[in-house]
Amino acid sequence: MITVKGLKKSFGNNEILKGIDYEIDKGEKIVIVGPSGAGKSTFLRCLNLLEEPTAGQIFLDGEEITDPKANINKVRQKMGMVFQHFNLFANLTVMENITLAPVKLKKMTKEQAHEKAVQLLKRVNLLDKADAYPASLSGGQQQRIAIVRALAMNPEVMLFDEPTSALDPEMVGEVLEVMRELAEEGMTMIVVTHEMSFAKEVATKCLFIDQGIIMEENTPQNFFDHPQNPRLQDFLSKVL
Amino acid sequence: MADWLSSIAQKFYTAFIKADRWKLYVKGLGYTMEISAFAALLGIVLGTIVALMKLSHTRSGKPTVWAHIADIYIDIIRGTPSVLQLLIMWCVIMVSSKNGVLVSIITFGINSGAYVAEIIRSGILAVDKGQTEAGRAMGLSQAQTMAYIVLPQAFKNALPPIGNEFITLIKETAIVGYVGLSDLTRAANNISARTYEAFMPLFGAAVIYFVITKLLSVLLGKLERRMRRSDNR
Repeated sequence: MITVKGLKKSFGNNEILKGIDYEIDKGEKIVIVGPSGAGKSTFLRCLNLLEEPTAGQIFLDGEEITDPKANINKVRQKMGMVFQHFNLFANLTVMENITLAPVKLKKMTKEQAHEKAVQLLKRVNLLDKADAYPASLSGGQQQRIAIVRALAMNPEVMLFDEPTSALDPEMVGEVLEVMRELAEEGMTMIVVTHEMSFAKEVATKCLFIDQGIIMEENTPQNFFDHPQNPRLQDFLSKVL
Repeated sequence: MADWLSSIAQKFYTAFIKADRWKLYVKGLGYTMEISAFAALLGIVLGTIVALMKLSHTRSGKPTVWAHIADIYIDIIRGTPSVLQLLIMWCVIMVSSKNGVLVSIITFGINSGAYVAEIIRSGILAVDKGQTEAGRAMGLSQAQTMAYIVLPQAFKNALPPIGNEFITLIKETAIVGYVGLSDLTRAANNISARTYEAFMPLFGAAVIYFVITKLLSVLLGKLERRMRRSDNR
């Protein structure tokens, strides 16, 4: 579904990604871990071209999205993204946050988008917040709504960029719960996180990214119990 | 005491009531308000466009030719006196137009646009980058993200300094006497020349300016509070 070939990304002279090759199939849940500054988020942000790769190719459903002629806005409609800092639109209510893109991008009528939003908000138990502004909500509520906002576009894949890192510990659970449900429904997910228990439980594959390359790729069982790469062993011994 | 009071009353009568002179102030205020209002409108539209021009960049992050044009425009307007801009417009660029009001509106609109552009630009830059990223990540275009997400927040950020700019604009129009318009300031000046009595007409005009600008700042304060609705925690 997503194929990454020789992906490199530099900021000025600082090469963050040094050549990543990877293939993700439909329905997979890829969890990416690694030390900070290793390039995890950059990798994720390259996938929907929020960061423009310096070299390499990315294919989505066989279409090369790194081709300069590719319609990047169309591509992004198929990829939902959830950010560390939620990034809900501060000038819009929760309902408007969710319905803005589907309506403006003509994926749904206003009524359809509203209906879909109600249904999704019910799922995360936040229907009563439909008319609230983001600033009045807790971090956990905002992040659940950010997930709902991305889902409203019916994406084929969901990208999560450290979705729980900015949350108070007591709110982490409610967000992970929503993500867990999403995984059970078969959504293709790529998650950058420090939540090791979530990785163990939900991932189909775990990636360890360090120094701009994929140092290890493994099933969660082997990844956590029998890590091969010495740097991963070292990393796990510090975080577990 | 009584003498003094009756002399004040006499002066007031001469300055405002005799020969229906109050009508001159009202007419003058009409010019002042008409020019200010349309110039403010033009300034906002122009300022927003110029702010967007100035922020435009190529994919590699270099400023576009539009950004350079915006820079030059802002530099020229900020670097020259508005009286001169008005005279240049009236005597050179639009010399074929005999419509002083129109020339004044255009001059002050262009003038205000340069200041509003910088205000709106800083309002846009103050909007968190994550807002743009979230919009783009959903598949909204650059223009849609700007229109529905960034600009509304930028205007909210920019409202206090924009209000300030409007108030400045109202007072700056006091120079339109240079192109033959009897605005509030010129009307007061004319009356003081005619009556050999400066105190009442000039202070009267000052009070009218003050009331108008005060009223405007109260209205803007109300608008600001309404736009802060989404910040209520």
